[in-house]
Amino acid sequence: MSNSVISVISRFLEEYSSSTPNKLKVVDAYLLYILLTGALQFLYCLLVGTFPFNSFLSGFISCVGSFILAVCLRIQINPQNKGEFLSISPERAFADFLFAHTVLHLVVMNFIG
Amino acid sequence: MNEYISLCVIKTLALAGAQGLTPAHHLSLPDVARLQSLLSQQFTDLESAYYSVLGLTKLGAAVSDHKQVCRFIKSQLDPTSIDSVFFAAEASQAISGCEIPVSNETRDILLAAVSEDSTMTQIHRAVSALSSLGLPVASQEVVGALTARINKEDNVMAITSALQTAARLSKQAELGGILEEIEDLTARLDDLGGIYLQFEEGLEATAMFVTAAYSLSDHVDMEPPLKEDQVIQLVNSIFSKKSWDSLAEAFSVASAAAALSNNRFHVPVFVSAQGPATVSHSQPTLQLLVTDVMSQPLASANVLVESAYAVASKSIILNQAPFTLNDGVFELNFMSKQPASGYYQFTIAVTGDSRLVANHVELKVKVSTEVAVANMDLSVVDKDQSIGTKTTRVDYPSKAKSSFTADSHQNFAMSFQLVDVNTGVELTPHQTFVRLHNQKTGQEVVFVAEPDSKNLYKFELDTAERKSEFDSISGTYSLYLIVGDATLENPILWNVADVVLKFVDEEAPATIQAKTLYVPKPEIQHLFREPEKKPPTVVSNTFTALVMSPFLLLLILWFKLGANISNFSFSPSTILFHVGHAAMLGLMYVYWTHLNMFQTLKYLAIIGGVTFLAGNRMLAQKAVKRYVS
Repeated sequence: MSNSVISVISRFLEEYSSSTPNKLKVVDAYLLYILLTGALQFLYCLLVGTFPFNSFLSGFISCVGSFILAVCLRIQINPQNKGEFLSISPERAFADFLFAHTVLHLVVMNFIG
Repeated sequence: MNEYISLCVIKTLALAGAQGLTPAHHLSLPDVARLQSLLSQQFTDLESAYYSVLGLTKLGAAVSDHKQVCRFIKSQLDPTSIDSVFFAAEASQAISGCEIPVSNETRDILLAAVSEDSTMTQIHRAVSALSSLGLPVASQEVVGALTARINKEDNVMAITSALQTAARLSKQAELGGILEEIEDLTARLDDLGGIYLQFEEGLEATAMFVTAAYSLSDHVDMEPPLKEDQVIQLVNSIFSKKSWDSLAEAFSVASAAAALSNNRFHVPVFVSAQGPATVSHSQPTLQLLVTDVMSQPLASANVLVESAYAVASKSIILNQAPFTLNDGVFELNFMSKQPASGYYQFTIAVTGDSRLVANHVELKVKVSTEVAVANMDLSVVDKDQSIGTKTTRVDYPSKAKSSFTADSHQNFAMSFQLVDVNTGVELTPHQTFVRLHNQKTGQEVVFVAEPDSKNLYKFELDTAERKSEFDSISGTYSLYLIVGDATLENPILWNVADVVLKFVDEEAPATIQAKTLYVPKPEIQHLFREPEKKPPTVVSNTFTALVMSPFLLLLILWFKLGANISNFSFSPSTILFHVGHAAMLGLMYVYWTHLNMFQTLKYLAIIGGVTFLAGNRMLAQKAVKRYVS
């Protein structure tokens, strides 16, 4: 059982490192970073407590929001998805990404207290 | 037959009387005195002299030291000012032996003021001055000027001045147009709750209007178009204020009072009882004061009671009974009709003068009496009625010689009658209580004694049933009878007897604490909100470092992937975009530390706009490069 899991994982990693373009790997690294930051914040909240709650929420939502926006960017700039995003060039995707982040950060800053 | 007719007449009269309004306010004698003292203050200039002298004259009070006043007027007079001449002329007219010398110049100035180019006040003062100084006035010209001026100056005070001016003109002049203004002004009055009628400009305007309206109406001998109710409402408005802010206001109230007590058409009457409206055997006469609005008695009036009926039974006790005038007070011996005690509604009519307004008044009169307790019988009755009752009679105000004992097998009973001392009629006062007071513990229990159908009061105390009220505390209780009523002159608190009550299941007698309602309560210590427990700084710092660490990981990963900025083109839009973007991030930090949302949005709009344009350019260039390659 564990054998098959390990083999699936190793196969996946191999495919990933070979077939994914570099650009997407850069975005994936960013995604990992956001994920870890969010997870650590949540761990702190579990261990120490929710005071101050608004700051925790603001930080956590910032991580979640950033993750989602980065995923959207990744989807949109993936050349394999070009057929579904004919009207949206990668530059346009990046511009949307930046604008959405501006709004997200405005809200996060308001809430951080 | 006769009674039937008189009953119908009474009913209609009562209805008529009930519909009329009666004045709620007037100038009582202390009010008049206060007004007089305000007007008697030392005057500093001609205007205050005018108000003082004329105000006091209208109230019928004497002006002190005419010679000194005359000298003051003459010294302050400025013959070139219309106002000055007006004040001096009017004031000197009111005091005897004071003649103001008038030069031709002054006369010319006054006559020149009578034109439609002068203000209403100027016309009024000029005409009044001319009239007081005995100089001829061209009445028709004045009427023309006034009419023209009314069209231009439409406010209340101006039209009131016009009315006053018209009252000084010759009766031959055509004053009809100006007389109609009274009706127009009446329409402008504000009705407040059906009780007050006044101008929104205030008390002075209302009072001066009343003065002017009656002054002009008397002059042309035509009744002013004011309904009776309106007159009373005006009286309420003018005389409700009992302290006056300025001499002008006091003067206006004095003028209105004089106008309303002494004109040819409407004289409001104020009827009030002298002292409380109560009669009894010791005080058998009902005394009424019938005065005008200035508290001057109307000696020529006839006062009679149109009808009087008992409020409780609605039976009529008086019908067309006249009052007799005795030393300025109207009296009626009501006790001679031997009324039962209680409240009576009187409808009083004041006749004798066709000018009287509000001369039907409703008055509630109380007839009080003295009560006596008769046939007070106390007994202890056995519950199974096997032992005969032993009744003890107690006479007021003595106390029963022996005390009564009642335990759980017995009832304690009390019966008595309450009679009117003078007529012997049985009474049922509002308060008939039986109070039992435990001398040792201070506890008291109060019961109500109820009358039966024959007006015999009975009280029974079932010892077993009532033990909860007594908290089952046995002991000696003093029994008191309390009788009280609004119509009784001698309320009764009578310690009738001592009663020893024995309860079963007696608990240890706890002394009843007198309720400490009015001692300081225990102090409440305010608990301030405890600050939240914060984790130790070490923990927070550790986690801060921990949360920052993925960033290092990111940089390492990016380095490993070979991400670089070698493609960075140094075009202006690129630089501008990056600078703008960095500025936006900086703005976020500044927002967190200093700014509020509105300021941030403002700055963001500016920086964002620039960044957007630059970024758009930059990305377009990149796209082009990508297409080409």
